[in-house]
Amino acid sequence: MLNKKPTKLLALPALLWLGALFVLPMLLIVMLSFWKRGTYGQVVYEFTANNYIRIVDPLYGQIFWDTFVVAILTTVLSILFGYPLSYYISRLERSKQQIWLLLVMIPFWINFLVRSYAWVIILRSQGVVNTILQSLGIISEPLPLLYNSGSVMLGMVYTLVPFMVLPIYVSLEQMDRRKLEAAYDLGATPWKAFWHVTLPMTKSGVVTGSILVFVSSIGMFVVPDVMGGAKSALMGNVIQNQFLSARDWPFGSALSIVLMLLSMLLILLFFKATKASEKKEGTA
Amino acid sequence: MKRFKSLMIGALSAALALTVVGCSSSSSEKQEEQVLNIYSWADNFDPDVIKDFEQKYNVKVNYDVYGSNEEMLAKIQAGASGYDLIQPSDYMVATMIQLGLLEDLNKEAIPNMKNIVSTFQTPPFDPDNKHSVVYTWGITGIAYNKKFVKEAPTSWADLWNEKYKDRVILLNDPREVMGMSLIKNGFSNSTKDKGELEKAFADLKTLVPGVVAFDTDNIKQKMIAEEAWIGTVWSGDAAFIHAQNPDVEYVIPKEGATIWADTLAIPKGAKHKELAEKFIDYLMDPQVSVKNYESIGYSNPNEQAYSLHSEEYRSNKMIFLDKADIARAEWLVDVGDALQEYDRYWTEMKSGR
Repeated sequence: MLNKKPTKLLALPALLWLGALFVLPMLLIVMLSFWKRGTYGQVVYEFTANNYIRIVDPLYGQIFWDTFVVAILTTVLSILFGYPLSYYISRLERSKQQIWLLLVMIPFWINFLVRSYAWVIILRSQGVVNTILQSLGIISEPLPLLYNSGSVMLGMVYTLVPFMVLPIYVSLEQMDRRKLEAAYDLGATPWKAFWHVTLPMTKSGVVTGSILVFVSSIGMFVVPDVMGGAKSALMGNVIQNQFLSARDWPFGSALSIVLMLLSMLLILLFFKATKASEKKEGTA
Repeated sequence: MKRFKSLMIGALSAALALTVVGCSSSSSEKQEEQVLNIYSWADNFDPDVIKDFEQKYNVKVNYDVYGSNEEMLAKIQAGASGYDLIQPSDYMVATMIQLGLLEDLNKEAIPNMKNIVSTFQTPPFDPDNKHSVVYTWGITGIAYNKKFVKEAPTSWADLWNEKYKDRVILLNDPREVMGMSLIKNGFSNSTKDKGELEKAFADLKTLVPGVVAFDTDNIKQKMIAEEAWIGTVWSGDAAFIHAQNPDVEYVIPKEGATIWADTLAIPKGAKHKELAEKFIDYLMDPQVSVKNYESIGYSNPNEQAYSLHSEEYRSNKMIFLDKADIARAEWLVDVGDALQEYDRYWTEMKSGR
């Protein structure tokens, strides 16, 4: 058996790292959110709650709502695309699995901004898709494929779907397949076996993936800017504006804190809901 | 595979060794060779002009870049940046003067400053050129593609024309866009008056549904690729677009427009202030300026240089703007606390409600 002390020491480098580069900046943002903006955009070190009072405005409420709707939609679409793909990969031979997993991960090697501009080149009015469709005579005028909410959603799901695929794949891999065989032996149809055996047993993967995708999409501001033509205001964009054009760091910090608290609340509710459904299955 | 790995490791360690050597040599050279640290926009100098300066004065020039005034401000405010020369835009000069972040320029060390055209000798953001001198400048006008926009626009109201719906592009900048609508409605582009802002915003709200995109950094590509037909574009960008797509023309509307400038200034506490002044003076030498501005494609504010420029550069109406147009243009002035109102309108406009 391992002695407790040395194992604790193993976590020390990571703890120091997180303390210096995560907790301290975080505290700074909390402090900033209670300070004032000077007339020329400087930070004035006087206490105020005004930044939070300003957030109580239907405008920002609406933007929080929009941001969460987009994030939830991105998460749901990522599950719908990611789960079947993970399922397919987990059913392949080992060597093929590795190739597929590599293909899922390769986009990470290319800068995210560059990939977003690649989509612009594909979708714009003189882009790859429109040029092909026009030369085939299928359309006469270029289709407006870019700079709308559809292209923003495409960009979000495209960027974040690997975060869904990998955890689901891992949980499918770890699943005890004998239980599936037992279900078939007891006369379950493939659909019933999936619904009552595979899905509940891979729920942890779906939950992990969902949180990864949800959290990443909440702060997203590059995709709405590049692929959405900067036409929509998601919270990430509003916060970015506070630090740049509006030069209002305290208000931007307050918005960040509220966004963080709201997302933590949503994740907590999500956890509670999945736990509750587990219990129900347990008793049934 | 293994050989490849060892090759990579070899290359990496060589690169590391080089950087170590590079660092040590530059620090040992500091005694005999002076260094000028520039912090500026990308591609804002002709590399040859910098090289000439290095050779002439036996100095080393380091060139770091930023993408926005706010990014530069944050770094300078954080202190100990080590920069000797920066390029704040007009409104940022005013802000930095207020915050006490700029050195006074020693005009005796910059005799060539008198070469700057008189309009830029007294800009409102720094009326006596005490802290800054205009380096590049331009006017935000209307660029339009004559293939789709058959009648040349004359007014900002032409952006609202139903025919160009979904093909209008605007700069992704609250002050520029609100400023445009304010000017269209006959107000100052830097108003703090709530009623005027309200009216300009209400007007903009009717334009936004027809906007294809807001963009500053890539507006050039969107005009060149004919993604947008008409929009608010800086004169220097318009010249660039026109060179790539000759169908795109440029006009300054009758109501007037916003004029802007990037300046040369020295941040407070710069270690090589005299060298920075020497560099500013060098850039304003008529011969040097001709080489420099024809390379970067911006409008040369140097009056003594006009006759030295090539015919092609001089006849470009997007670089050499008409005097009457310049007279109608207005600078953006820092609006202080009212910036919060601009930002709230901007957010409301983007949220589509």
